[in-house]
Amino acid sequence: MTSEQVSAPTASAPTEKAQQASLPSRGGVVVELVNCRRTFGKVHALDGFSITIAPGELVALLGPSGCGKTTALRAVAGLEHLDEGKVMVGGDDITNVPPHHRNLGMVFQAYSLFPNMNAVENVGFGLEVRRVATARRRQRAGELLELVGLSSMAERYPHELSGGQQQRVALARALCAEPRLLLLDEPLSALDAKVRAQLRDEIRRIQLEVGITTLFVTHDQEEALSIADRVGVMRSGHLEQLGVPAEVYSSPKTNFVAEFVGSVSRLPGEVVAPGSVAVLGSRLTIPVSAGSALSTGTRVDVLVRPESITMRPAADGAAVVARASFLGAVVRVVATLPDGVEVVSTLPASEAYTFPLGTRVAVELSGDVLFVVERQP
Amino acid sequence: MKTGRTFRWVALGLLGLFVIAPMAASIQFSLEAGYKGRLSLTAYSQALAEPGLGGSLLTSVKVALGAMGITLVLLVPTVIFVNLRFPRWRAVLDAISLLPLGVPAVVIVLGVLGSYRSLPNFFTGTPVILAFIYVILAMPYTYRAIDSGVRSIDLHTLVDAGRSMGAGWMKLFSRVLLPNLRSGILAAAFLTVALSLGEFAIASIMGFTTFPVWLVSVEGNNPYVAVALSITALLFTWILLVALAFAGSGRRRRTTGAFGVEIVDEIEEKEGLVPLPSAEATT
Repeated sequence: MTSEQVSAPTASAPTEKAQQASLPSRGGVVVELVNCRRTFGKVHALDGFSITIAPGELVALLGPSGCGKTTALRAVAGLEHLDEGKVMVGGDDITNVPPHHRNLGMVFQAYSLFPNMNAVENVGFGLEVRRVATARRRQRAGELLELVGLSSMAERYPHELSGGQQQRVALARALCAEPRLLLLDEPLSALDAKVRAQLRDEIRRIQLEVGITTLFVTHDQEEALSIADRVGVMRSGHLEQLGVPAEVYSSPKTNFVAEFVGSVSRLPGEVVAPGSVAVLGSRLTIPVSAGSALSTGTRVDVLVRPESITMRPAADGAAVVARASFLGAVVRVVATLPDGVEVVSTLPASEAYTFPLGTRVAVELSGDVLFVVERQP
Repeated sequence: MKTGRTFRWVALGLLGLFVIAPMAASIQFSLEAGYKGRLSLTAYSQALAEPGLGGSLLTSVKVALGAMGITLVLLVPTVIFVNLRFPRWRAVLDAISLLPLGVPAVVIVLGVLGSYRSLPNFFTGTPVILAFIYVILAMPYTYRAIDSGVRSIDLHTLVDAGRSMGAGWMKLFSRVLLPNLRSGILAAAFLTVALSLGEFAIASIMGFTTFPVWLVSVEGNNPYVAVALSITALLFTWILLVALAFAGSGRRRRTTGAFGVEIVDEIEEKEGLVPLPSAEATT
C-alpha cells in the first residue's frame, strides 16, 4: 500500500513542480492527530490538539517556543508518548507503535548525522537496519545524495561537511528508506540566513518531487509561510488557526495569530458604527472575521499590516520618523505618534529616501484592518 | 611567547625527571645486581626462571580482563540510560562512583566478604571475586571516562535519529553508540586493566597470589630479581595497553584501501578531532 504511494524520488522532473503543486492530491498518506494531550508537570504541551494533514501535503506548525509544536511532531514520531489522543497514519492507528516500527523519516535541528559514518553510510542507515544488501543500499543512497546535490561528498564524514551540507545529508537519510511520512524539526534554525533560504526552497522542491506527506515544525514565520501548503499556528498546546499561508497572514482568526504572524502596528481606535472603526482619522471597515461584533463606542486596538499604512512628508503631520531599516526593495519605517504609539510601514526604497529620521509625516491607512481587539484599560 | 616556550620545556623536563629518574635508578640497580660498575642481565634471567611467575601473571591478566569486561558491560549501558532517561540521577551515580576513593582496602575486603559469604565458593574463594572488587575500585575513574564520552556526543539526537530510521536498541548500540563512545570506553578499559594489574593490598589481604603479591614475596629473597621483575612487568603492562589501543582503533580503516586510510588519518590529524599522542608529544 505504501510503496505505490511514495513515488521514486528521481522519477519526476523538477519542471512538474508547478503542476504538482496545484493538483488536489499528490500521493502520500493522510496523517491525523486526534485530540492529543500531553502534560509535563503543570505544563500542557498538547492540550486537545487535533490536525489532519492531506496526502502529500506539507503542513508547517508555527508558534513560539513552548507552544507544543515540537511535542506534536515527536508524538507523530513516537519519541514522545501521549497522555490522551491518537496518531493515525494512512488510516492505521500507530499511537502505541514504537518509533522504530513507524516507517518515517525525520530531520533534526542539527548534528544528527552519525559521526562514525560517512555521508553515504549515513544515508543508507535506514536500509542497513532493514537488512538491504550493501550494493543495493549504496546505489539507493547514491540516488538520494544526487537528489540533494551532494554526490561528490559521498565519502565525507559529517565533520568534513558544512552545516547546510549536513542538513542535506540528513534529508537524504530521512528519505532513503521510502518512509510514509517526513518530519522536519526546525531543520534550518542552526544555519545562517543565506543557506537557510536556499535549503528551504530545496526542501520544498524535494518534498514535491517525492510527493511525501510532511510535517514541518518551526518558530520562523517567514519559513513557515514560504514553504508550506498550510500553516498551523500553535499556542499553549492547541491549534490557534490552520490555513493556507495567505489566509493566515491576511485573515487571522485571533489576536494572537495577527500579532505572531507578520508585522503589525497596534493603533488606538474606536468603533463608530457596527462593523466600522475610526482610527487615525480614517473610517475603516472591520472584517467579519476580526471582531465585527463589538458594539459602537468601544475603545479598541486596531491591528494593521505595514503594507496597509502609507506615510508622506507633511509639515503638519502627526507622526515623526523614529527609525528606518533598509531591506532591499523596501524600507521599513517606524514613526511615532504624539501619544507614543509606534506605526510601522513598509515603503518602496525610492520613496523612503524622501524622509530621513526626524521628518514629520502624515500617516494614512490605505488598506484593510487586520484585526480589532477590545482595548484593555 | 619565548618565556612560555622555555617554561614548557622546563616543566616537561621536571616532570620527565620525576618520572624517569626512579625508573632509571631501578634499571641500573637491577642491571648491576650488587656489583658496582658491572652491568649484566643476570637478575633478569634469574627473574624469568623464578617459580610462580607464569601462574601469578596469568591470574593477574585474567582478573584484569575480567574486571575490564564487567566494567564495560555494567557501566556503559548504565551511563547511557541514566543520561538519556534519568538525567537527575547523574548526581547520585556520580557520588556513588566516588565512594571507593574514601573507603580503605581493608574495609572493602571485610565488606565484600561479609556481604557475599553466602555465595558459592567459586565466587568468593577464587580470584573471580577480585575482578568484581577491582570493578568497584576503578569506578571513580571508569565512570568519569565513560560519562564524559557520553556527554561529548549529542546522545538524545543520535538515539532519536536512529530510532526514527527503524533501529532497535541492539542496532543503536552496535552501530551508533559504541563507535562514537570509543575513546571513553577505551579509556575506561585502560584504567581498569592498569589498576587491576598493579593492585596489591586487597589481593594480599584476601590471600590471592596475583602478580604484585608474588612480586613482593620474591622481593624478600632477592631484591635484584624483584626489581628486574618490576621493570619487566612495567614493560608488559605497557605492551598490553598498546595492544588494547590497537584493538579499539579499527574504526575508519576498513572503508577503503591503503590510500583512503592515509587520507582519513591526515584529515583527523589536521582537524585535531582525534588526539594523536605522538603529535602532542612533539610540540
